Amino acid sequence: MNGFSVLLQKEWREHTRNFKMLWMPLVFIIFGILEPVTNHFLPEIMKSIGNMPEEAEFLWPEFTGEEIFMSLLGQYQSIGILVIILAFMGTISGERKNGTATLLYVRPMSFLSYFLGKWIVVNGIVLGSVWLGFMAAWYYIEILFNRVDAGAIFAFVATYSVWLVFVVTVVLALSAWLPTGGAAGLAILITLVYQFIDSLIGTYWTVSPWKLSMYASYWFEPDSELSNLWMSLGLTVILIVILIVFGVFLSKWNASKTTV
Amino acid sequence: MTPLLQVDNLTKKYGSIHALDTVSFELEEHTATALIGPNGAGKTTALSMLSGLVSPTGGSIQFQGGVKQDIRSIIGFLPQYPKFFPWLSALEFTEMAARLSGVETRQTTIEAKKTLEFVGLGEVMNKKTGTFSGGMKQRLGLAQAIIHKPKLLLLDEPVSALDPVGRRQVMELLKELQRKTTILYSTHILNDAEEMTDQLLFLRQGKLVEHGSLDEVRARYAEPRIVIEFEGIQELQRFTEVTKWQVTSKGLIVSIDVRLEKAEMSSVLSVLTAGKFLVRRVEWQTASLEDIFMKVAVI
Repeated sequence: MNGFSVLLQKEWREHTRNFKMLWMPLVFIIFGILEPVTNHFLPEIMKSIGNMPEEAEFLWPEFTGEEIFMSLLGQYQSIGILVIILAFMGTISGERKNGTATLLYVRPMSFLSYFLGKWIVVNGIVLGSVWLGFMAAWYYIEILFNRVDAGAIFAFVATYSVWLVFVVTVVLALSAWLPTGGAAGLAILITLVYQFIDSLIGTYWTVSPWKLSMYASYWFEPDSELSNLWMSLGLTVILIVILIVFGVFLSKWNASKTTV
Repeated sequence: MTPLLQVDNLTKKYGSIHALDTVSFELEEHTATALIGPNGAGKTTALSMLSGLVSPTGGSIQFQGGVKQDIRSIIGFLPQYPKFFPWLSALEFTEMAARLSGVETRQTTIEAKKTLEFVGLGEVMNKKTGTFSGGMKQRLGLAQAIIHKPKLLLLDEPVSALDPVGRRQVMELLKELQRKTTILYSTHILNDAEEMTDQLLFLRQGKLVEHGSLDEVRARYAEPRIVIEFEGIQELQRFTEVTKWQVTSKGLIVSIDVRLEKAEMSSVLSVLTAGKFLVRRVEWQTASLEDIFMKVAVI
C-alpha cells in the first residue's frame, strides 16, 4: 500500500489543524451531558421557565439510565449524523474540486491507501467523539439516575459504532463518486431519510444496517433475542467492505476530474 | 538511441470534441521541449495525459522504449496553478511529496530542505503555504515536482502567472534544471520558448501542426528580408527606379525578400552608398517566433 502512512499522517494533520479533532468531540460531549441533565431537571426547568399556572401539576415520567442512553442515541441519530455528513461530505470531492488532490494523484500512491487513510482518520474522529459523548452521559446518568451495567453500555455503544462506521463509509464513498453537494444530498437520503422509511415499513424485514441503532438497545434487555442483531451486524460489515471497494474504485476513476 | 518518451497518435476525445487528435512526438533525454499553442489548443490535456491524470482515448505513451512501470514514479508535474494544503508548511508539503514519490524516509527532510533552498524558499520553509504569494507557490510547485529527481519534468505554463521578476527567477531555475533532467513545458509566452528550448511543438485545436528545433522552424517560416526606411518619398522613388530587386513598399519603407531576390546586405549597402541615398535605417529582418506562432498556431 504505497504511501499509506504518509497519507494517514496527512489526514491526521488536516483534521488537527482545521480543529475538527476538537469541535466534533465537543459537540457530542455537550449532547451527552445535556441529555441526562435536562431529563433529570426537566420538572424544575419547566417550573421556572415553562410559564405554567401555579396550581398546575404534571406527572413527569421516571426515566431509567438505560432510557436516557436510548434517548441520547436518538439525538445522535438525527443531529449527530447530520453533523457527520456536513463535516465530511467534501473529504474527497472537495480535494478534487479545489485542486489539492492533483499533486497527490500524480504520485505513485495507491488509491487504496488514499481512501483508507481518510476512512481510518474520519472513523477515529467520529467514533472517538461518540464514545466520549456516551462516556460523558454515563457519568451523569450514574450521578442523576441509576447504575447501568458497564458490559451492556460497551456492547450498546460498540453496536452503534458499527452503524456509524457504515455512515462514515457511505459519506466517503459518495464523496469519491459525486461532487460535494450531491454527496451530501445522497448521504442524507441514505442515512437519515431511509432511517425514517425503515421505521415506517421496516417491519417486513429484520436484517438491516438501519435497524442497528434499535438493536443496540437489546443489550439493556438481558432476555432479548440477538440473532437479528448479529445478522444485521454481519450484513453491515459486508456492506462496509463493498462500499470501501466502491470508494477506492471511484476515487481512482474520478481522479481525472481533479482541477489542474 | 531510444528516446526517453515516445508518444504515438495520442488522442483524447470528450464526446465528439477532439481535445487532442493523433499527436505524435519524441523527447530525447536532457532536452527542453516547449509545447506552444493558444488557449484551448490541447496543451494541458497533453500534459495531463503524460502525467497519468487523464487516460487517453487512443494512441500510446512509451517511456524508455516501453519498459513497464508506473509513469508517475518517473515524472514530476507542475500544474499551471498549483494548489497546496494551506494548513501544511512548505517543508511539510515537500516532505510529504518526497515520501509519496518514493524518496527514502530517512532522506526526506534533508532532500526537502535542499530542494526548498534551491528554489529560493529556504527562509520561509516553515511557513504555512496558505500565506504564500503566487510566485512562492510556483516555486514550491517546482520544488515538489523535482524533489524525487524525476527523469521527465512536465510543467504547465510554469511562469505565465508570475510578474516579470518572478518569471525571470523561475526561468533561471528551469535553465539550471535543464542540465539535470528532461523538460516538457507548455507556454504561450514565446520569449520563454526562445530562451529555453531544444524542440518546439505547435498545437492547434488538438493537432500537432508543426515541430522541430527553433532553427528548423525558423528556417521554414522565417521569410528573411532587408528593410530600408528612406528620409523622404523622393528618395524611395529614386531607389525603386534604379534597383534591380523586386521590392514592396509601404510609406517610406521598402522591403526586399532575401530568398526570392538573392539579395545580400552588403550588395544592398553598396547600392545605397553609390547612389548617396538618404536613409533612416537599414535592417535585416526575420520572422520572430511570435510571427511564426501567428502563422502556425492561430487560424
